Amino acid sequence: MIQEENIIDRNKDVTIVEILDRVLNKGVVISGDIVISVADIDLVYLGIRLLLSSVETMEQLRLKKIKDRNAGNET
Amino acid sequence: MNNELIYVYCLSNSSPELSLYTEFNGLKCIESGGFFITYKNVSEDEFSEENLKRNITNIAWVEINAREHINVISKIMQNNTVIPFKFGTIYKSEEGLAKFIEDYTLSLNKNIININGKEEWTVKIYCNHDELKNQIEELSKDVSDLEIQIRNSSPGRAYLLERKKSDLIEIEIDKFCKSYGASYYELFLKLSESTRINNLLPKNLTGRNDDMILNAAFLVSKDKVGEFVNTSNILWKEQKITGFNVVLTGPWPPFSFIEIEEK
Repeated sequence: MIQEENIIDRNKDVTIVEILDRVLNKGVVISGDIVISVADIDLVYLGIRLLLSSVETMEQLRLKKIKDRNAGNET
Repeated sequence: MNNELIYVYCLSNSSPELSLYTEFNGLKCIESGGFFITYKNVSEDEFSEENLKRNITNIAWVEINAREHINVISKIMQNNTVIPFKFGTIYKSEEGLAKFIEDYTLSLNKNIININGKEEWTVKIYCNHDELKNQIEELSKDVSDLEIQIRNSSPGRAYLLERKKSDLIEIEIDKFCKSYGASYYELFLKLSESTRINNLLPKNLTGRNDDMILNAAFLVSKDKVGEFVNTSNILWKEQKITGFNVVLTGPWPPFSFIEIEEK
């Protein structure tokens, strides 16, 4: 699908995770008589729930960890 | 086996030449409300609500079908402006599909106008934590200052400062990742029409050893795609800090830039 001449990282195939990240959460998502719900996929696809971590959440968690460690050092 | 259900791939504002795509079986197109909908008939055995639920527990099935979903849309996108549908969107009848088109014509037209003549590109940036850590003393004045303090301290105080230093290093790495990601993001923002920050994918999903620090989609005018790709190449060659990796992929169907207002 992705035209080879346009891929900078030419050696790497597009992973299924990258595809799922797109096709399950985006596009026309609200209509249809039957639509796969992302919640179902979450249960199935090992670790896919982690996709929901945003940049901000991950950074916050990391900084919180450092802060907690510092607080522990002080006491 | 009755193929009674309608599996929708995408919608376009011009008629796709489906005869060109012989690698896909059963593709069909119907016109409704001025739009061309590419679909295939699928069986209840595979795609009824109940069976679909069962099938998505089968990763091999999901992979084959999700890849086909995006491959079909990508082909049609080469010659048409497309609005991609979410994987596994099924209608029970043509009437149901036509009703959707009728109800959402305004919104669909807005989306077609928004994505016409543009492509979706993704920029992912990864950081090798250990490689950046090895350079952090040169890159961060705060870390190098602390290192000088440690050398001039008593063993007891040096021990405490060492602990402080390891935390400072993490904070500084975080800062460098943020500013590196932000500088690329700002640059690509200028070359694009629109952008979306996507979820960061953890290592167990990317299969890489380095951490994803930016995952952004950009909607780029077709006449600016060359500049968009070249900019990335130039930056890549000129960068002085090692440990970062920039991966650009595209063109994707514009999944990230479809906004349908729900009624």
